[in-house]
Parts: sequence; C-alpha cells; structure tokens
Amino acid sequence: MYRSFVGLEIHVQLLTQTKIFCGCRAGFGDEPNTNVCPVCMGYPGVLPTLNGEAIEMAYTVARALNCELTPECSFDRKNYFYPDLPKNYQISQYHAPLGRQGYLDLEFRKKKKRVRIHQIHLEEDAGKMIHAGDMSLLDYNRTGTPLLEIVTEPDLEIGEEAEALLQELRRIVRYLGVCDGNMEEGSLRCDANVSVNLEGAGLGSKVEIKNLNSSRFVRKALNFEIERQEEILERGGTVAQETRLWNENRDQSESMRTKESAHDYRYFPEPDLPHFHADAAFLRNVEERQVELPAERRARFQEEWKLSVPQTEFLCDEKETADCFELVLAEEPELDPEMVVTWLAGDVRKQLNRRGWSLTESPLTPPRLAQLLRLLAEGTIHGKIAKQTLELLFEGGRNSSLDPIEIIEEQGWKQIAHRSELEPFILSVIEQHEGAAEQVRQGESKPVGFLMGQVMKATEGRAEPAAAQALLQELLLGAPPAREPRPESRAGSEATAPRRSPRIPTIQVLSFGGAIAGHRREDGLVEPGDLVSLGELFRQDPDLPEQIVFEEIRLGRFLSEEITPADWSALLTRLASTLEERSVQGIVVAHGTDTLAYTAGLVYWFFADTSVPIVLTAGAVPTDEGERGESVANLRRAVQVAAGAEAGIHVVYGGEDFMPVNLRFERIAPSPEGETGSFRTWNPVGLRRRGAALAPTARSVTREVLTAVLESALRRTFVVRVFPGMPGETLIALMDAGIRYFILEIYDTGTANLRETPFSLRKALVRGRERGVSFFCTSQQEGVVDFSGYVTAHELWRNGAIPMGGLTTESAFTRLVAAQVEAALVGAGGSSDSGAGDRGYQSEEEFRERVLHLMT
Amino acid sequence: MTDTESLEEYLAFIRHQDRETGSFLEIAVRPGAAGAAGATGDPAEHPAGESPEGSPPPPPRLPLPLAVKDNIAVRGYRLTCGSSMLENLVSPYTATAVERLERAGARVVGKTNLDEFGMGSATENTPLGRTVNPWNHDFVAGGSSGGSAAAVAQQLVPVALGSDTGGSIRQPAAFCGVYGLKPTYGTVSRYGLVAYASSLEVIGVLGADIGTVARTYRLMSGVDGMDHSSVDPPPDGGSPDPVRTVGVLRGDLGLTPEVARNYAETEQVLQARGYRIKPVELTTLEYVVPAYYTIATAEASANLARYNGVRYGYRPDYAENPEELVRKARSEAFGREVKLRILLGTYVLRSGFQDQYYTQAQKIRTLIRRELEQIYREVDVILMPVFPTQAFPRADAEGAPAFARLDEFQQKVADRFTCTANLAALPALTVPTGLARGLPLGMQLMGPAFSEERLFAVAEDLAREMPIQFPRSSISWPEWRAAGGGS
Repeated sequence: MYRSFVGLEIHVQLLTQTKIFCGCRAGFGDEPNTNVCPVCMGYPGVLPTLNGEAIEMAYTVARALNCELTPECSFDRKNYFYPDLPKNYQISQYHAPLGRQGYLDLEFRKKKKRVRIHQIHLEEDAGKMIHAGDMSLLDYNRTGTPLLEIVTEPDLEIGEEAEALLQELRRIVRYLGVCDGNMEEGSLRCDANVSVNLEGAGLGSKVEIKNLNSSRFVRKALNFEIERQEEILERGGTVAQETRLWNENRDQSESMRTKESAHDYRYFPEPDLPHFHADAAFLRNVEERQVELPAERRARFQEEWKLSVPQTEFLCDEKETADCFELVLAEEPELDPEMVVTWLAGDVRKQLNRRGWSLTESPLTPPRLAQLLRLLAEGTIHGKIAKQTLELLFEGGRNSSLDPIEIIEEQGWKQIAHRSELEPFILSVIEQHEGAAEQVRQGESKPVGFLMGQVMKATEGRAEPAAAQALLQELLLGAPPAREPRPESRAGSEATAPRRSPRIPTIQVLSFGGAIAGHRREDGLVEPGDLVSLGELFRQDPDLPEQIVFEEIRLGRFLSEEITPADWSALLTRLASTLEERSVQGIVVAHGTDTLAYTAGLVYWFFADTSVPIVLTAGAVPTDEGERGESVANLRRAVQVAAGAEAGIHVVYGGEDFMPVNLRFERIAPSPEGETGSFRTWNPVGLRRRGAALAPTARSVTREVLTAVLESALRRTFVVRVFPGMPGETLIALMDAGIRYFILEIYDTGTANLRETPFSLRKALVRGRERGVSFFCTSQQEGVVDFSGYVTAHELWRNGAIPMGGLTTESAFTRLVAAQVEAALVGAGGSSDSGAGDRGYQSEEEFRERVLHLMT
Repeated sequence: MTDTESLEEYLAFIRHQDRETGSFLEIAVRPGAAGAAGATGDPAEHPAGESPEGSPPPPPRLPLPLAVKDNIAVRGYRLTCGSSMLENLVSPYTATAVERLERAGARVVGKTNLDEFGMGSATENTPLGRTVNPWNHDFVAGGSSGGSAAAVAQQLVPVALGSDTGGSIRQPAAFCGVYGLKPTYGTVSRYGLVAYASSLEVIGVLGADIGTVARTYRLMSGVDGMDHSSVDPPPDGGSPDPVRTVGVLRGDLGLTPEVARNYAETEQVLQARGYRIKPVELTTLEYVVPAYYTIATAEASANLARYNGVRYGYRPDYAENPEELVRKARSEAFGREVKLRILLGTYVLRSGFQDQYYTQAQKIRTLIRRELEQIYREVDVILMPVFPTQAFPRADAEGAPAFARLDEFQQKVADRFTCTANLAALPALTVPTGLARGLPLGMQLMGPAFSEERLFAVAEDLAREMPIQFPRSSISWPEWRAAGGGS
C-alpha cells in the first residue's frame, strides 16, 4: 500500500484598488499595457512603495487561516529571468513571511482533517506572455498585482481532496472580500507538490506540478501524478524530483525541468522596502475585517435554521446568498426557512444564471424577496404568479424600481379569494358544465377536480384554490364544511388577508400499480389491476374526515416488480403538476410493496420540499380481499396522513409512518398479534421528511423528456453487492458495457478487498477513475460508511470511492438516479422547453461533476 | 534679455567650455521643466524680499543651473547610465530630488557622464563619452560621478547632482578639487536614481561653494512617499552642538606621500582653528572593501536584471525566441565591468554560498556600524583621506607617468576610505584641501547619521584657510558673459 502526500501552493490575487507597489489600477480585462507606469514596468530608477490595502488584506487572510501573524515581516527578492517579469526579480517574502503555522479544517467525503498551512506570504504578480504564431506578445497590466501565496503542508492525499480544499479556500477569500476567486481569469491559481511512497516510509521524491488553473485540473493532475508515481514505484523504479506542467488538452503532465536545472532563486532581503510592523492599530483593523467563515456559517445554519447539509452548502457557498437568506428571514421572521432556500436555490438562481448576475447586482434585494415570499405564503399570490413576478422584476433591469407588490398590483395578479369575486366565475363554470355539476350533486367526487380546473382556467389561475373549492362545493352541495383547514405553512397560518374559506380536504390518490391495486385470479395468483374507487371503499368510514374529495388517477396497471422508467416518469411528472397547481391538500400514492423503498427514495429526492403530505403506501394483497385486510388498512391510514399530517414525504405501512429514505424492506413473518412489520428504517438518526429537493429542475420537464433522461441514467447506473472472491475484472467489464456510476455495497463501514490479487477492487477503482467512473459506497449492514475505521477503507477513499454515510443502497441508488437526471437537465439548459441533449449538453466530465456535487 | 535667450547663451557657454573636458553627455534645457524663470544664477534676477509684506516667507529658492548625473531620471532627458543598454532611453519621469530642486527654481541644463551604472572609479567604464580631469587632461576626473565633478571644477555649473554608492561623489570631488556631499542614507529620496546597490547608495551634491552645496542638500532632502526607505533628518541634525573634536587615523594608511602630507596638513589647519584632534582606530577598515563589493555586486545582480531588451533600451537585431533576445541584449550591451560585477553578485548569492559571502558581508557591515557608533561617542567627526592617491592617469593617456597608474583591482582596493560611510549609512563630505603636482587634493569629513549641518560648518571653517581653486582653463559664467561669450 502506498501513501500519497500532496501540498498546495495557492496564489490569491488580492482585490486592491491599485497594484502592490505602485498607483496603477489593479484589475482584469483592460486593453493590454494600459495599466502600467515606470514602477511596474521596471524602469530604471523607480522604487516600490508598499500598498497598505494589500498588506492589510494579506494579514486578514492569514488571521482567518489561524496563522501566527508575524509582528515584523519583511520582503525579499526572488531572482529569475522571464520576459513577463519586468525587473527579472519578484518582490516576495522569504525570510519573514507575514503568516506561519496556520490551519484549515476540511471535511471531505465524511472525513475530517486539519490541513496545516506552512506559511502565507505576499508578493507581486508577473505579466502575461502570449505566443501568437512566430511572435511573443507581452501584457504588463497584471504585473504588480498583489498576490498572496498560501503554502500548505503535504497533508492532503488525493486530487479530489485537494480540489475540495481549494474550493473551501476560494470561499474563504471571497467571504473576506479580498479576492474574486475566479480561476479562469487567474485570480486564484494553484501549484501542487506530490510525493508518493510506501506506507510508513515517509515522504518520497517531491514532484511539483504547475499550471493548474482550475480546480478540476488540480484533481485530475494530482490523481494522474499519484498514479504515475505509484506505477513507477510498482515497477521498482525511483521517482525523479522534477517540475511538471499539466497539459489540459492531453490530460497528462509533462516534464518541465529536472532537479539539476531547477532555479536557484538567490533570495536576498529587498533593500528598497523597510520591514513592515504590524502594530496594534493595524491588527485591530485586521480583526475588524474578520467575518464568519463558510464552515462556521454552515454549522450555524444547520443548527439555527435546521437546514440539511446540501441546503447549508448551497446557501453558504456564496456569502451574498447566505446574507440574503438571513436578511430575508430578519425581514419576515415568520417565513419558512426551507421555502426561502428553495426559492434562492431554484427560481432566483435560474434568473441570475440566465442573466449572468450575482445576487447583489440583481434588482432582487432581500426585502423584495421577503415581500414576494410573504405574499406567496399568505396566499395573496400563488407559486406561478410568484415566478412571473420574479421574472418581471428581473426584466426591469438591475436598477428596477418596482417592488414585487407593485408589480403584482400593476399586473392585476392578486389571487381572487373573496367570495364576492369568486362567485361569478364559479357560477359561470357550473352553468357551462351542468353535467359534471349534476354528478357532484349526486355524490360523485371525481368531477370536483374537473370543475376546479375550469374555475382555474376561467380566472387565469388566480383563484385561491381552497376558497374556490369550498365555494364550489357550497354552491353545489349547500352546507359549508365545519372542519378547520390544516395550516399550510408557518406564514400561511397567520395570514391576514385574504382569509381562507374553510375547506374540504381534497386528497389525490394516485394508483401506481402493485398488488394493492390488483386482484387475485382464479388460480390464486395476483395480477395487476386498477385501484378500486376509494370513495366506495371508505364510504362512511368513521375514522376518516367527514368529507374528503378523492381525486383518483390511475398511472398504470402493473405489479411493483414491473416498474419501468416510463412509469416513474409518469408518477414524477404527475406529482409535479399536482403540486404546481396547489389544488390538493394531500397526495396518496398506492404502490407495490417490493419496490416501495426505491420509489419512496426517488419521490423524496425530487419532492422533499413539498408543501403538502405525499404519502406512499402499499399492500401485499388486493384491496378486494376483505375490508379489514392489510391493504385497506394501509390505504386508510395513508389517507388520514395525507389529510392531516405535516407536509413531507411519508411512507405508511403496517400502521407506521416511515421516513422516505433508508427504508429497508424486511419482510418478517407475521407475529402472533398479526403485525406484519415489513419495513424498517436503517440509521434513523437525522432523517427528515422534508428538505431541499435534489432535482428541482427535473420537475419541470415533460413526461417524455423525463422518461428519456431516466432511461439513460439507469443505463449508466449499476448496483454491485460485493462478495468474497468477486473478480475486479467484472467491474471493468461493466464499465466496458457503459456503466459510469456504481453503487458499491461493501461489507460494512469500509471493507472491501484491495489486496493485489485478481480479486482486488483496486484495479477496477483505478481504471474507473481514469475513465471517469464513480463508485458510491453503501453498506450491506446497517452501518455508516465513512472510511474512517480500516486500512482498506482508507485505501478505498484514496482511490476515489465515495462513502454514502448512513444511506441504504436503495436511497443512495435513487439519489444517484435523481442526481443524474438533474445534472442532465441543468446541463441541457434546465427549462421545461428543452430536453436533454437539445443544447449546451456539456462534456461527460462536467456532467459527472454536477452529479458528484449532488451526491456529496 | 529674455529668459530663453539667456538660457541659450548659457548652453552655448557649456558646450564651448566642455569641448575638452567632456563632462556632459547631453546639454539641453527641456521645455516644460518645472524650474521657473532665469536659473542662470544672476542674483539680480531674484532680488530678496520679492514677496509682498505680511505674507509668509517665500520657500527657499535655488535659482541655479543644475547638472545631473546621467543615472538620475529627468523627464524628457535621456537616462543612459553611461551604458549602451540605455543609450536611447528617454526618461518618462523625474527623480524626486531633481523635482524638488526644479520646484525651488533650479534649471537642469544637462546630464553628466559617469561609469556605466556607476561602476567605476574613473569615468572610463563607458562607451558613451570621454571625461577628463579639468586640471590635467591626461588624468581621470574620478568616478563614477566624474562628469559632475569635472563640470563643477570647470565652472560650467555651480552645482551638480551625483550618486554615491562607494565613494562615487567624494572621490571625483577630491580628484577635481570640489566639494562633494554623500548624505546620510535615506535623507535624500532615491526615487529616480537608477539602482546599482540599493542599500548603499544615495543621491548627493557636488559644488564649488559649500553654502550652495548645503542649500541644495536642504532643498532635496526629506521623506518622500515614492521611497519607503527615505527619512526626514531630525531638525537639529542629531546634535545641537558644533563640532569640537575631530578624529584622525594614525599609522600606515597606504597613502601616496602627497596625500599623506596633505592629510597631516589639513589636521594642523583644523587644530589651528581650535578643533581638538583625537586619534581613532578603525579596525574594520581592512574588511570594508570585500564587504562592500559582496553586498554591492549582490544587489547589482538583481538591480541590473531588468535590462533585458524587452521593454526599453538596447534590442538586438534578431532573436529566435524571448530567451535568446534577453541573452543577446545583455551580452551585447553591457560593458565588461558591469558583467564582472553581475557575475560576482550572482556568485555570492548562490544557494549554499550565501552564508560564506553575502551573510558574512552583512555581519561585517554590522560590525562597522557598531565600531563607528563607539568612535562617535568620543569624537564629533572623523577626518579621513578620500582616496590613497590623487587623480591617476587615464588609461589611454600616453604621456602620463606609469608609476601613478592604477589597475582595476587596485582601484577597487583603494575604495577603502569611502566605502565605510556607505556601509554604515553615514554622511561624509569631501572638501578641497589644496594642490600638489598640479592636481587637486581633497579630504573627507565623516560624521554620525544626520550630522550634515555640522559637516558643512567644519567645511566652511576650513574653507577660510583652504579655499577652493579652479583650473586655469576654466572660466565662470559671469566672466564668460563679461568677455562677450567665448569670442
């Protein structure tokens, strides 16, 4: 077994007004050689003068990275000839850098680590040389831009981890406001040192890799280099100490210079600059510049706002997003934090991306977002209107002067909730659809949904659904219902105007095949069928709400084991449109038992942010087998949950209300009391019914598009349960067959065979990594996979396998499917009017990155 | 007479009178320079009490023509540094020291010759001009500020700027018989002085009159935002007391008989004027030259690295790639001495050798400073030779005596009296102390940091007994005008 040691040298361009040693503008994008003066051009006789802003920013970063701050730091000359370096020496810090011995706590793939910072120093950037044909051109605009170099100890091990460190560091410098972190423009650059040796033998020969100008290159180059060094050692060779250059076009590094031709920089103290004394007043300023850093903020958000890890990661990725989130909630403390996240991550992000704006340059100020979401929560507008309002607000340009309420009023988009306003619309619908109305009067519940649809159509979607439905039923049936409505959200419960009318719960029941909807043939076998009418089934059921309007939709006749991507697509798009219409108070999905854990997971990853209960249930026998049978009992309970429980995804079975993920189908023989107990939740700690949806984009596509994307995701995905003696070759064969995403179900929290034998998984992992294949590890036991416990687990981690923590195989698998679907559709432009592959489907590499992001 | 006519006439005077001496590389007045009207030094043009009564006193003026060593930047003038590398470079900016003098009314009239980048003791290390000693054209004017010294001695300008890295103001001042001030390090901004050895050098003044030298220094000194190593001299010059005790060196100092005699004679004059003479010992003297050349060349190797033919200066006709361009530019355009010093500097900074050379030199530097601090507790100033010899013969002067010649190595070893002040960052002033064998003699007064004013006072005192003399070939501007302008 090998150990790899990776250290990074990260260059951070400081966002000062002027250059580090002269008064020229520091910035990107101007005409070549316009931001130059005798000083930065290295004219004879000029002298550097230290930029106070630069040194303050530099100490600010050092302080944030827990460095020992040097009370008196000094500058040195680093000598080397290069045409883009005007003086042919770089003013840097060598003998007394401004910060030393810091650290950055990193959590990467369930592994916590303290990465030590060796030192931080300030220096000047060089210019740029561009080779054009037989000419070499020089642009000195960048010359003298303040550059902070952060040097880590070799505490990192693999490319993915180094990439994570770089990204966290990028967040930190952006939070501190000292760098824009733009790697494409070179504001953040990275060199890496890699050394591989046999486990326990300490550091090996050091190889430096340069030109890593994206975090992706950092990952790829490091993994390439680790693999290269391991191969050399494997063959009994020795790794040459050298500097290599990453060639992004060929995906490999190439030798640039060997140890013998290494530069001798001949450092000596810079005589033109006095030592810098960090006095008390200066250090006070540095202290004042400190902000709550991303890691602290993520932890606080999880604690304070009870948000999930992906939600906090999204919010805290950019300081402005996190700030906006908190300002919105400060403005409207009654808003549901989840709702705020959903909007920021969904529609707001979409608007920003489309225009290439940041949140702070957009017209959407936190008070405006707060206002919009309050209007939505209290029912003044519904979701679609909120989206249109957002669209108009953004269309108004960056300096739009209209607030959401003004836009809504101007457009006449307020919901119609008052009886007097609604009545003409409803009476006209009843008049036009006398047949349907009559059916309802006769006790049929199904046409209510149809009539409501007509009311919505007539009011252009502006009718407040609950009030409209209550009035519709009142006008058709007379007596208004007595039950109080279930509060829909925190803000909704306190809504002042317009007041909601008391309403009858409408529960949509989706029949999704399975034995529960089937019937037993004469030969005793169960065959697929249609769910019997629930209205019939539950007529005069004393335990159910007095009046429930059932809206029954059949999505298919099949057994649980026969589910195809098209079936899932039908279910998901149906759920999406129902939720979008906001016309029901709950949804029941009647499903087969065997695959319930899969569908439940999938529904959760798609609709975790649902505003109503979505209840999945199943039964092993058809409902027509006795009124007190298992299936009927499950359905009854599901309807109750759908009508009265909290919003979120529920799985009702055998009298229990399970979490949607980590559901394990464990059929147990019925106990003497008749309890069946076919499901159990694994690793239940921390599971939730609601949260951020993993695939919000995928909800807005058509059924056909979703089917196509699901199919291709499922074709790329494979679940492998590791077993003793499994040849690693099998996995390679699967890769050859097109599998790109594996769920690797390993024995326990981190064990699999990685010894060098034909049965080792190592080769498959290495080959897979080269080919862009991902391995997500779950456990065959009820264990939490985190790779912390065993040598083999660490080896898995080193080879790029991704621990899925406490997720079961089913939950991890559905998450992987949802992640791929979302990644494909986001990559395809993400809107409902374009399908996968239509436009902008970027490389497999970018796709995979998006998937990985959604998975970890 | 209009101002422009007056200046034109002045330039004609310089051109005419400098034909033999060759002090200047460029003689010109650039339009738009900061200097105000009439800088030709006629007191009549600037009667005292110009300002209306009641208003604050006008800032001190220096309405004089000014020659500037050609390693100091003046906007619009060339900045050749005596090197082929920069032969065609026109400076886009003006050095702070010059700008301050121009603001006070001084008018730059030209740029003076020097050893390439200030590296030399004779103003012979340059392909751009040939400067001779105005007293005897077979002898050198000294260096590296030889052009400025010769220009003052030849009475072409009352005052000239030079730079002093290891004696480059004081030695040519002594060789040409004029005053030459090397100020305390940092009191005069180095912004605009082309760097040779940044931690050692400083812009200073050469002049024919100690009062003018003092005024010039006062006007150009003081902290400058463009030079972070610049400082304001303390108002009382470090001590309010006048100089009473003068330290002198005893024993065999390796001087020529003429210089040794003059050293004793100068000591006697001071004693006669009431100064207490006290022998002091400079044990570090023998380490001065190696320490100086180690530090100076190390810094030079970095300072001169910027000349690569890319952005300005000499560019070879053809190069295959940027690396070749740089290599060709540097090998074709630098002179021998410059290359030697760059190589030496590169050598002493090599990793693994720094402790042996560079670090060691810095330790010696510290020891020199400490020893001088000790000495200045006992004496107020030290009277020292500037150079072990008088001006030596020019390399190409066939008629000059062979015994007086100094080879390049000897010239470097002879820097031991001047380098001390640079290594210790102290002020030192060369004063003219007479003539021998038709060539001038000069001694230097070296004081503690910021003691410039006290050095001026001693120099003024000494001038009563040992007044400045000018070569017979020279003629002053008023005399020239009175004689009808060279006709």
